[in-house]
Amino acid sequence: MKSTISLYITALALFVMSCNDRNTADLAPEYLYDAGNEKVIKSIINNKKGTIAMLYGNDIALQTAQDSLLKLSPGAQYTLVTWKQKPMPQWYGTNINAEIYSVEHVNVAHRNVSGLAFDYDFKTGEGFKPGDARPGKDQQIEFITSQRAAVFP
Amino acid sequence: MKKPGLTFYKSAAIVLIIIFVALQIGSPAIKNPPVTSEIVVPKEVKQILERACYDCHSNEAKVEWFDRIAPASFLVAHDVNEARSRFNFSEWDRNPPAVQELLLWEMVNAIDQQKMPLQRYQLAHPGSKVSASELTVLKQYVNTLPGRHKVDTARIVARSLTNDKFLTQKTPVSLNGIPYSAEYKNWKIISVTDKFDGGSMRIVYGNDVLVKALKNHQLPFPDGSRVVKVVWGKQAEDKDGNVLPGNFQNAQFMIKDSKKYSSTEGWGFAKFDGLDLKPAGKTVLFEQTCANCHRLLAPENDFVFNIPTK
Repeated sequence: MKSTISLYITALALFVMSCNDRNTADLAPEYLYDAGNEKVIKSIINNKKGTIAMLYGNDIALQTAQDSLLKLSPGAQYTLVTWKQKPMPQWYGTNINAEIYSVEHVNVAHRNVSGLAFDYDFKTGEGFKPGDARPGKDQQIEFITSQRAAVFP
Repeated sequence: MKKPGLTFYKSAAIVLIIIFVALQIGSPAIKNPPVTSEIVVPKEVKQILERACYDCHSNEAKVEWFDRIAPASFLVAHDVNEARSRFNFSEWDRNPPAVQELLLWEMVNAIDQQKMPLQRYQLAHPGSKVSASELTVLKQYVNTLPGRHKVDTARIVARSLTNDKFLTQKTPVSLNGIPYSAEYKNWKIISVTDKFDGGSMRIVYGNDVLVKALKNHQLPFPDGSRVVKVVWGKQAEDKDGNVLPGNFQNAQFMIKDSKKYSSTEGWGFAKFDGLDLKPAGKTVLFEQTCANCHRLLAPENDFVFNIPTK
């Protein structure tokens, strides 16, 4: 009986203490990317590479991505930000972005009367390891400029 | 001053005994209502649930003699009632299939984070602890649920003119008074996620107040902080491993106002479903469902799951 009572007292004490048991998460603002005035086109998951990305664009790029013809226009600017994925600490069953892996920019310009020219830039982030292979330029330009915008309400 | 004599202690003891006895008379009884639709899961999963969860989350509570003694009996009765109101394995069909799946993932997470079984329950019932290998069994099981590999194969429906008309006519308002607003489209992205349970991908926006707090490592978030999570289905993976957003599913809002939303940890919750942005929930109690899970699993994040953390 004595042990039961002491058990209850301990349990009660633990219960009261548990109300104050609150650690604070270690925030990681370095994972944020400021896309400036560019708008969201869509997010892209890649489980083979273990990455998750955001595609942003200026108004011309967004308009192109929202149009069913997807006809590229000079002046369109795109930014593809890719992060490494990691399991979300608070929820088993979700992956969330971790360190920035790379930031790619594509600008569409007039080459001459007949066609378009593309400026392409690839920057590495914290998550990019020295041995990692860089993606092919032409392939990335094609991938980035051919994305349709996600549907928003 | 005269020291209290033996009679004082005697009368004190008598008073205490009377209180104790009176408490026993008023002590609540744990009743087991009939089992109407028991959960169906593989045997090895069922065994774990029965041992670790059934005393509170079912109509088959095995109440020990010491659970019946007041004042503990009041705590036990409270826990059982609360547990059954969250989910009840004996009345499992009361939840729609999608909710059943979500509850199973929530259970695994609650056990994973050692929030369940309750510490005080484990202390009195040492056999209820879920071991690491048992947690693995549960994790493996939830990964076999249909929502885990759901692919959005439907034609992608864009916002139509009818939707636009609908929106200009009337702003959808959540049952707790939070209106839908598209202002998040000008906010910063605070995280991007891939959710396995239910199969969706999400972009999470934060307003300036919240982003500033994140940059200053400030927790809890100040009043005026806002988070909007936009959710899409996932299309089938292409040959290079890319998974692209499918149809728009819903937009979820969290608004910090520690006074106004004090009953839900200082956050106002709202969810708007489909392109017509139908406010979620049948009664205002929906916000407690949101708050319960955020309260249980993300207290160290000021109750916000989708923020960048180490």
